[in-house]
Amino acid sequence: MRDKTHMEQVERWAEYVKNNHDWKKKLKPFLDSQIIISRRFYGKLAKTFEGRKKIKELRNIK
Amino acid sequence: MKREVTDKTILDEFVEDFCKVVNKHVLYIICSGFVAIAHGRSRGTEDIDMIIEKINFERFKRLHKDLVENGFECLQSESSNNIYYDYLVNGDSVRYTKKGDFLPEMEVKFVKDELDEEQLKTRVKLPLTQLDVYFSSIEGNIAFKEELLKADKDMEDARHLRIIYRGQIDENKINKIKEKIRRLRLNER
Repeated sequence: MRDKTHMEQVERWAEYVKNNHDWKKKLKPFLDSQIIISRRFYGKLAKTFEGRKKIKELRNIK
Repeated sequence: MKREVTDKTILDEFVEDFCKVVNKHVLYIICSGFVAIAHGRSRGTEDIDMIIEKINFERFKRLHKDLVENGFECLQSESSNNIYYDYLVNGDSVRYTKKGDFLPEMEVKFVKDELDEEQLKTRVKLPLTQLDVYFSSIEGNIAFKEELLKADKDMEDARHLRIIYRGQIDENKINKIKEKIRRLRLNER
């Protein structure tokens, strides 16, 4: 269970989103970077021995 | 060439592209984590959840073909026959990505009960997200997260949505959906 300061931060950010129109601009680099880093990682992993098999396992793909 | 400046994220563009194709063939909703993320929740996700109406094989075949022609691939199988009969009709989800990309992925499944059907019927576009796609209702999302899913991230998603839509949320609707969740998904009487 996360401590209460975590939920407080969630609430602070939600208030910011509710009251500021530029939230998407602020969030975009953060969200995109996660996808870019994951793609880069999976791309490298796929080229290793049994890499594609590992990716399927990591992502619970049946 | 004039380049359009956009704040749309990689996830936004993926979801809109996918939904544009799906919308031509079936009723759908985007639900769960991406609803909160599209409203500014600062957390990542690799998969976006989509529920579609139950359709026969011929209709699914056309949908799958259209998705493939638009650059998507199914990670489970290339064959619409396998995807339909080995996964979807058994209640399992299938995952589509843009061909050659490992993620993000769209996790697609058929409606499974009265609750899903109601979510489809009450689907909405949510202008605050700036996205032209159908979502399950805010009340539905809050109810599922608070009553069924309940992980830390789900409770935080629900709290986030409650703040964004403060003063506009129908608590009676949330309570009715929660009651159905208890009856249909948690097997409570």
